[in-house]
Amino acid sequence: MICPRCNSKTVELLTKAPVDDAWEVYICDTCCFSWRSTEDEDIIDPEKYDKRFKIDPATIPTLDQLPPSPELRKKSKF
Amino acid sequence: MSYKDLREFLAILEKEGQLLKITEPVMPEPDLSAIGRAAPDLENGPAVFVEKVKGYRNSVVLNVHGSWQNHALMLGMPKDTPLKEQFFELDRKWSDYPIKPIWVEDAPVKEVKITKDINFFDLLPLFRINKYDGGFYLSKALIVSRDPDDPDNYETQNAGTYRIQVKGKDLLGIQPVSFHDIGVHIRNAEERNEPLPIAICLGNDPVLNFMSSTPIEYAQSEYDFAGALKGEPIELTKSEQGNLDIPARSEIVLEGYILPRTRRIEGPFGEFPGSYSGARLQPEVRIHTITHRTNPIFENLYLGMPWTEVDYLVALNTSLSLYRQLKRDFPEVVAVNAMYTHGIGVIVSTKSRFGGYGKAVAMRLLSTPHGMPYSKIVIIVDEFVDPFNLERVMWALTTRVRPDKDVVLIPYAPGMPLDPSSEPAGMHTKLIIDATTPVAPDKARNTELLDIPAKADYWLSYLRNLMKNVKEEK
Repeated sequence: MICPRCNSKTVELLTKAPVDDAWEVYICDTCCFSWRSTEDEDIIDPEKYDKRFKIDPATIPTLDQLPPSPELRKKSKF
Repeated sequence: MSYKDLREFLAILEKEGQLLKITEPVMPEPDLSAIGRAAPDLENGPAVFVEKVKGYRNSVVLNVHGSWQNHALMLGMPKDTPLKEQFFELDRKWSDYPIKPIWVEDAPVKEVKITKDINFFDLLPLFRINKYDGGFYLSKALIVSRDPDDPDNYETQNAGTYRIQVKGKDLLGIQPVSFHDIGVHIRNAEERNEPLPIAICLGNDPVLNFMSSTPIEYAQSEYDFAGALKGEPIELTKSEQGNLDIPARSEIVLEGYILPRTRRIEGPFGEFPGSYSGARLQPEVRIHTITHRTNPIFENLYLGMPWTEVDYLVALNTSLSLYRQLKRDFPEVVAVNAMYTHGIGVIVSTKSRFGGYGKAVAMRLLSTPHGMPYSKIVIIVDEFVDPFNLERVMWALTTRVRPDKDVVLIPYAPGMPLDPSSEPAGMHTKLIIDATTPVAPDKARNTELLDIPAKADYWLSYLRNLMKNVKEEK
């Protein structure tokens, strides 16, 4: 299985439905996308996932930080 | 007040015909977000209680705040109370701040405690809110944190609402924006390279959610305000770890730590301006303990193209908070309507003390903690124009504004990143439109306003009764 959003192979089963065996939820370790097996094809099928929302894993490190990580405090001299 | 928690408020909504119950099982997607979209579109905007969601154990409630009727009932007023009356009742209750909370033993939220094998899906009927959200979100949580530089200070403890993405069985992403109070807490924790304890409280007394989405001052307590609105203390208890004060009667509390100096991809998420935010690198939270009531109710919020529940939730609290901050320095201010997209659009009604006064009031609004980043379009109207009556506001715009003198642009000012017209995200240009009547030393053509005919009130009530009789005869 590959991630419908970023096409990575880093997909794992996050959980099965607590009751009735109704569905499973998967999550991508690369882009943190998660989806349920019972969702529409245009969510769970990588070919059909809307191109406007696809993510290229190479761009993830270049995304803005919100909030930015601050500088560490220096130990006081006194 | 006649309710002490979400369950008791739902009972009031049901009695008042403001709660619908769905007993047939529904699918998490797309049914729950579709219900959240539909409920505020109904004439009376009821809350909807969904008993059974396929695959899950617990029930969901949506649209608790999503109408003026529910909003009035939250304030303890009759459900048909007009908006302006709700605004001034809120103002009256606001003056009772602070009413300090009490700490109770045997808090209902401690009925069940989980510390091992945590899996959010066992407890929370999570669902995708908007189609291209990056995952399942908690959109109506009250999140408690303390300032690590001042850890024993109750006043600077914060209870705010920030979006939360589920990223694992016990892992969450969070959006603590720098200009929100939690932004101060996380910065101080990360400068020390320390984890920040937080408690994520779900299914709260509706007044608590109302206050956790109100822009009050940094050192003011949301709990003390909630007490003022209720006219009695909020019941709190202590978190299992981290010395946090949490509502004793919430349905579910997730306790954990914001991991210091960690950023991973979060989003997109369908946001309050009616569009998706981008994906960004944001902090994450590891949950170590869950406490909850027996058979907990999961409350979440659908937000879509305005208006949906969030627009009701942040309407009058944003308005009142800005009103109070303006009124302190400008006593002539009569009312503030900041109901448009969380105060991106604001209308202020004020009497003008001297020429240019309207512009001065607008500039003060744009330097308040909330107005500075959020407010982009500010319209100032005379004291006799009701800012909640948009027809009258348009009258003021069309008959009072001299575009060469009364329209001001302030380029490249602080902006709200989620506003898609903010460019770059977090910067925008402010627009002030002063639609007040010029007073000295400003000059304008002499204008005499039309009067209301004598006996207009008599005839209004006469015609209303006549109309009622016509309806009853049918």
